[in-house]
Amino acid sequence: MANIIEMKNVCKSYGDTEVLHNIDFSVAEGEVVVIIGPSGSGKSTLIRCINCLEMISSGELIVDTIRIPAERKRVRQIRLEVGMVFQQFNLFPHMSALENVAFGPRKARSMKAGEAEDIAGELLAKVGLDEFKEKLPGELSGGQQQRVAIARALAVNPKVMLFDEPTSALDPEMIGEVLDVMKSIAKDSGMTMVVVTHEMGFASQVGDRLIFMDEGIIVEEGEPSIVMKNPKSERLKDFLGHVKHH
Amino acid sequence: MGFEFSVIFESLPPLLEGAKLTWIITLAGISGGMAIGILAGLGRIAGTAYLGDEPHGTSKQICFLTRYFSAGFVESIRGTPIIVQAMFLYFAFPMLIRSLPNVDQFRMEAMTAAVITIMVNAGAYIAEIVRGSVISVHKGLVEAGLSLGISRYQLIRYVIGPIALRRMIPPLGNQFIISLKDTSLFIVIGVGELTRQGQEIMASNFRALEIWLTVAIMYLIMTTVLATTLRHFERKMKIF
Ligand SMILES: Nc1ncnc2c1ncn2[C@@H]1O[C@H](COP(=O)(O)OP(=O)(O)O)[C@@H](O)[C@H]1O
Ligand SMILES: [Mg+2]
Repeated sequence: MANIIEMKNVCKSYGDTEVLHNIDFSVAEGEVVVIIGPSGSGKSTLIRCINCLEMISSGELIVDTIRIPAERKRVRQIRLEVGMVFQQFNLFPHMSALENVAFGPRKARSMKAGEAEDIAGELLAKVGLDEFKEKLPGELSGGQQQRVAIARALAVNPKVMLFDEPTSALDPEMIGEVLDVMKSIAKDSGMTMVVVTHEMGFASQVGDRLIFMDEGIIVEEGEPSIVMKNPKSERLKDFLGHVKHH
Repeated sequence: MGFEFSVIFESLPPLLEGAKLTWIITLAGISGGMAIGILAGLGRIAGTAYLGDEPHGTSKQICFLTRYFSAGFVESIRGTPIIVQAMFLYFAFPMLIRSLPNVDQFRMEAMTAAVITIMVNAGAYIAEIVRGSVISVHKGLVEAGLSLGISRYQLIRYVIGPIALRRMIPPLGNQFIISLKDTSLFIVIGVGELTRQGQEIMASNFRALEIWLTVAIMYLIMTTVLATTLRHFERKMKIF
């Protein structure tokens, strides 16, 4: 299948420090890619480059045929096609759950209020939060907030979903409910997903490909269960040893 | 010389006239001050990540200049006394204009100078209030907005603005009260506001106690109205 995301020789620097080094990376339509790696290895930076929250410093990024940096003016178009879920949920604190989810379709897709709210209501029901529509984010648990955040990103009807450690800020008993929602998105809608997570169970069950990053490069990649069983590099062996203990 | 209530009743009409002017200068001044403050406050952080994507190309240079001028405006107003600003606007500015070629008639009404001084002065302080509250909006919320694909205008209007506004209200209340009291300084350019009316009545009847007590109470009533209105707004906004 065609690649919906392509990174060619991408570098990213903050000031004088290069944190991504000559990354070649692509994601096929419908593929679920899981990214693992130690803290500070550049996982967040990599996926934040995909929706241009960070602008790549060199190389080329192609998302759904839009070329960056050549077509820098079309960044918003990329973001309409690429939804993002953050570690800290980042729900708009002044909007109810329903308003949070309806906001994207209403403003980014210029839908009528009623239409946007219908979509939002359906999505909230899908993530199991039908009864929490009128609640403000502050009145919801972490797991519920993250499910609202997933619904909010889906509401804009993206082709790709990015997840940056979506369960890392959650209490252990809430991780399952969020992972279940993510699994159903992958299975039911065949959504293209790029997921940074240390949930190895999720990686092997849902992932089509596992990527291991360290110090700004992709060190290993392949079919998740194979990569996990037979790590080639010492770095990955080390890392897997750490993850399994948690 | 005992306390005479009759003195208060006699001086009430001119004092109320003065209070009316004070009120007009304040309301016009802080309305304009809000407009200036929002522009200069956002101007000081134009092109930074606090307001969404950082620009590139020529808009980067425009943003740099905007930041530079906004900061210059805020610092020069904050760094000079308001009374000097009023004197400059009322006495010096018209001379400056008249010295231009082809201009020999230019006067500035004291009332106009008073309103503009409050607008500009409050504007500089409000700019700092606006900047501070916008900067305090969590970066993650800005990114969440951007990642939905909304425009910068929508981001400021629906995400950053409402959150920042809620935090602005207490310091704005402070500034509005300061601006109201600052109008008493326009006694020096001859505006017939409350303090000047008090001063004139005092000069004719020497009843300092009755007059200044009444003047103080009138200021207190006006500042209370301002504070109560803002508290009402604060309560009407969602708590989060
Ligand atoms: N805004 C930034 N400014 C400067 N350095 C940054 C910034 N964001 C990330 N970095 C650095 O880039 C490297 C990669 O960070 P990140 O992508 O967040 O790693 P990960 O998500 O894998 O933990 C780290 O060394 C981090 O300190
Ligand atoms: Mg990270």
